[in-house]
Amino acid sequence: MAGRTPGVRVIAAALVGASLLLPGCAATPYEWRHDNQWDSRKQIWLSEESQVRLRAAQSRVFDTTDRRRTIEAVVATMQDLGFMVAFLDEELGIVAGKKFEPLERPSIGTDPFYHLYNDTSLLIFTRSYRSWGPFWHRSDLVRLMITVRRRNESQLVVRASAQYYLRAVEDPVPYQKFFHTLEQALVLQGQLVQ
Amino acid sequence: MLQGCVAPKPSQDLLAPTEAQMKLRSVQTRTFDVKDRQLAMRGVIAALQDLGFIIERANEPLGLVTAARFAEPNYYDVVGVTVTVRQDTAERLTIRANAIYNNKPIDDPKVYQNFFATLERSLFITRE
Amino acid sequence: MQTRLFETRDETELLSASAAVLQDLGFQVEESAPETGFLRATKERSAREYGQDITRALVAIVTIPLTLFRSGPIIIPVDLHQKIAAVLIARPINPESTRHEVRIMFYRVVWKGDGIAGESAIPPGMQSMEMLRDPVLYQQFFAKLSKAVFLEAFTL
Repeated sequence: MAGRTPGVRVIAAALVGASLLLPGCAATPYEWRHDNQWDSRKQIWLSEESQVRLRAAQSRVFDTTDRRRTIEAVVATMQDLGFMVAFLDEELGIVAGKKFEPLERPSIGTDPFYHLYNDTSLLIFTRSYRSWGPFWHRSDLVRLMITVRRRNESQLVVRASAQYYLRAVEDPVPYQKFFHTLEQALVLQGQLVQ
Repeated sequence: MLQGCVAPKPSQDLLAPTEAQMKLRSVQTRTFDVKDRQLAMRGVIAALQDLGFIIERANEPLGLVTAARFAEPNYYDVVGVTVTVRQDTAERLTIRANAIYNNKPIDDPKVYQNFFATLERSLFITRE
Repeated sequence: MQTRLFETRDETELLSASAAVLQDLGFQVEESAPETGFLRATKERSAREYGQDITRALVAIVTIPLTLFRSGPIIIPVDLHQKIAAVLIARPINPESTRHEVRIMFYRVVWKGDGIAGESAIPPGMQSMEMLRDPVLYQQFFAKLSKAVFLEAFTL
């Protein structure tokens, strides 16, 4: 976005505005709910400041060295929260899960494609567009990943990161609530990093 | 060749290997004097990466590596490879590679020669 | 560009730190095989771009007259969803396993939304794939990784 003159942006805004006014336009409200940008490759990064802010909100330090018990508590917590644990690696201390929230419900009736959904086929090399869920329901995917890493001789650091509606969750409150549930499962109090 | 409205019947040889397939198999297979299967698998992975493939799966217990590559600049096509590493004897193992372009098997021997040449190099580097 | 070397024996730590760096960038780990040093992480994001909206609007405006022949305006599909993936492999490169190589590849798959051409609708989901080859991307990833493992990353 940097380096573009304001003039170009005004014209762009006018054209985008014009496209919205077109009758019978394919630009459905569904499309507008997605972030717009100049270069979609930039999505590979999160900005540095949101990385720092997120790291603090997403991490808690626990006074334990029992990785196994911590991972078990993480799995239990994720199941309590309705996430299907899709990935677990004890050696690396990673747990990842997903769930589907019916965010894109059709206004009338049900979408038959939703029932044909095969969520085990989320692999990337498929030539069928049904591979990642029915098209209009792809944004329903909620993902949560927890890493458990050794911090020092007596502490572990647990970090949670979530994805919702094709965005990273940056609000600290959901993470606070997650750690609250995890603390109950662990019967241990977590502390903020530093 | 289909006559009228009759559905095509499978030929008796549907599940029998053709001569071309047998020839392809020998092109796709090499034996190596390597003892450590895990080492060989890592070599296979490195060779595939050197050839620009993205590793999809690397299953050590089964000795199976699957990888794919976008047929750039053609953004819609995929080249896929499945490599199996099988221990024959304590001293030798067999490596077999199968490559497909979208759904069509690649039968050009050059492709496989190229893969095995890269594999030999990467196995050699790991052993020093 | 995709490869760096680290003077370490601890491959598990390299993989675990890599996962942490990817988590920092919003990726979610999808698959791993520590015995072969393999890790894949992905994230789904919006792929909309202003530029494509502008092109679509222009095409639509230009093709409005086709309405007279009941075949306009043409609405071309634009990018809507993308899945960004990172595949990482760590492996020892000397017989004593004191030195490890880490290789990472970033790529993405982009799906288009729907559109209209004449009287028929274009279904959504047209897919395209590409490797991400921006050197800065790889440099920054390895800078973060060497910070996380407290080791210098180097190339030969």
